[in-house]
Amino acid sequence: MRSLASSLVLLLAATGAAEACEPPRLDASTRIDGKRHVLLFRGVPSPPPLNTSFAVEIAVCARDGASVAAPRVDAWMPAHRHGMNYRPSVVARAPGSFRADGLLLHMPGRWEFVFEVGGERLTATQTLD
Amino acid sequence: MRVAVALLAILLAPIPAVAELLDFSGAEWARIVRHGPWPLPFRADPSNRVSGDADAIALGRTLFFDTRLARDGRLSCATCHDPALGWSEQRARSEGRTTLTRNTPSLLDVRLRRWFGWDGAHDNLWATSLRPILDPREFASDPTAIADLLRGDGKLSACYDRAFGRDIAGVDAETLAIDAAKALAAFQETIDSARTPFDDFRDALDRGDRIAAARLPLAAQRGVRLFVGKGNCAFCHLGPAFTNGEFHSIGIPFFTAEGADGGRHAGIKTLQSSKLTLLGPWNDDPDLAPGTATRHVDPQHRNFGEFRVPGLRDVARTAPYMHDGSLASLRDVVKHYSDLDPDRLHNDGEAILVPLKLSESEIDDLVAFLESLSPTVRTSDASSGPRCN
Ligand code: HEC
Ligand code: HEC
Ligand SMILES: [Cu+2]
Repeated sequence: MRSLASSLVLLLAATGAAEACEPPRLDASTRIDGKRHVLLFRGVPSPPPLNTSFAVEIAVCARDGASVAAPRVDAWMPAHRHGMNYRPSVVARAPGSFRADGLLLHMPGRWEFVFEVGGERLTATQTLD
Repeated sequence: MRVAVALLAILLAPIPAVAELLDFSGAEWARIVRHGPWPLPFRADPSNRVSGDADAIALGRTLFFDTRLARDGRLSCATCHDPALGWSEQRARSEGRTTLTRNTPSLLDVRLRRWFGWDGAHDNLWATSLRPILDPREFASDPTAIADLLRGDGKLSACYDRAFGRDIAGVDAETLAIDAAKALAAFQETIDSARTPFDDFRDALDRGDRIAAARLPLAAQRGVRLFVGKGNCAFCHLGPAFTNGEFHSIGIPFFTAEGADGGRHAGIKTLQSSKLTLLGPWNDDPDLAPGTATRHVDPQHRNFGEFRVPGLRDVARTAPYMHDGSLASLRDVVKHYSDLDPDRLHNDGEAILVPLKLSESEIDDLVAFLESLSPTVRTSDASSGPRCN
């Protein structure tokens, strides 16, 4: 009984660890709520154009309050099992604010954006046509 | 809104007695409309300061047909890029001073490309145009010989002075060679393909004009449906020019008697070791803005044996097909996609192409559609404009 109670307490504590954090403001963006990070992103232009180079603006924070290093940015088409033919370059613009240049989505359909930040993988899908 | 109205018009209008239009779904309709409008407006190439300049175009046109650019005076650009054949040639593999490993691609709509050559070894039209001039297998020339030709011919010199706004006498040979290539590029940017029965059909659908749309023969209409649907063709042959401009393997063998043709893999290597790219000193655009793709191109394992997706406008006129000219007719091409051997694909598991197992009549339909991408009336082409004289 006592051990059940203590594990309940532990469980509650673990859930509560998902503290809130607020990334720098980024209007009209898509939000991804990860276990350890919250990330906002939007295409420049938005929505991303088909088969033309574009950029992505990113705002991100770590739930534990730590500062975040530049995320790795990628995109792929799960249905076709291929990614982009380009590797985006990411630069920091302010604490928690980044810009990725050089993305190019060369087919219409469903693309999954992948952001790797602080060892966590955050994804969101967008359909282009 | 216009889209919705047009869509409604298509769905609700009574089917006319004579003209027949297939019952295209809203999704099919949207996919078809994506292959237009046509033609696309001219946009000057910012990396080439004489792009769109009438004098440069005249100089480029003159040089394109001039055999004196070749060391032995036997070849001109037009020997392989024949205007009467959609600026390509009938041979499977080109014949320069020796037999080349690849088929001569059509130059129609070449201004719209992101990458040039079957392997995308160049990111701009002027560097692509200099390549055959210097290549020992083709013109086998060099900057000094090009400079001598331009300086020694009064008509060419005068044309050069006007196009580049300076006296040719003060310009060094390397710059002259690149300027000649930029004039050739300016000329090739005028090689546009004309409107086709498909474009009339596509525009009619866009307007919701069923009567006009029904003028496209039914076989071609069924072919369009296969192209944007079950055939998956439009994922790669995308947009108004029918290409996404990227690189794929469709299972055409890339081993030749001379060894393997590394395709895109080799193309990226050449690109990244060249100083004639959009990232180099000869790009006339101070912002280097068009160089984004070049800066970010990412070599991948599957690039080996990948070739650029060709555009399909006027494809009926540019046989034979594929990077090695190995397929003689459009029927052979469609059969290739129908009987495809998935084990032949060199694409690291990319899952777009499957053997389509088409019936004979479906093959006819796809061919009829591909033929509807050629104009029915031929007006004068880019070769007939002014030259330097
Ligand atoms: C001996 C035949 C031959 C001659 C002569 C020739 N070409 Fe080509 N051309 C080719 C072949 C083959 C390719 C494909 C090369 C590759 O993929 O590496 C090509 C490719 C091109 C391309 C790229 C087209 C595209 O769609 O990417 C351009 C542009 C071009 N040539 C222009 C020229 C110009 C300008 C000249 C004259 C200075 C010329 N060519 C002379 C055979 C020839
Ligand atoms: C995965 C991308 C992809 C798909 C899907 C695809 N193609 Fe292609 N297509 C290519 C590539 C790449 C080539 C050139 C291959 C080579 O030279 O090795 C090509 C070549 C061609 C050519 C020859 C053009 C020329 O000038 O040589 C035709 C015609 C063609 N495709 C039609 C079709 C049709 C019809 C379909 C649907 C049944 C289709 N393609 C589907 C990528 C694709
Ligand atoms: Cu895809």
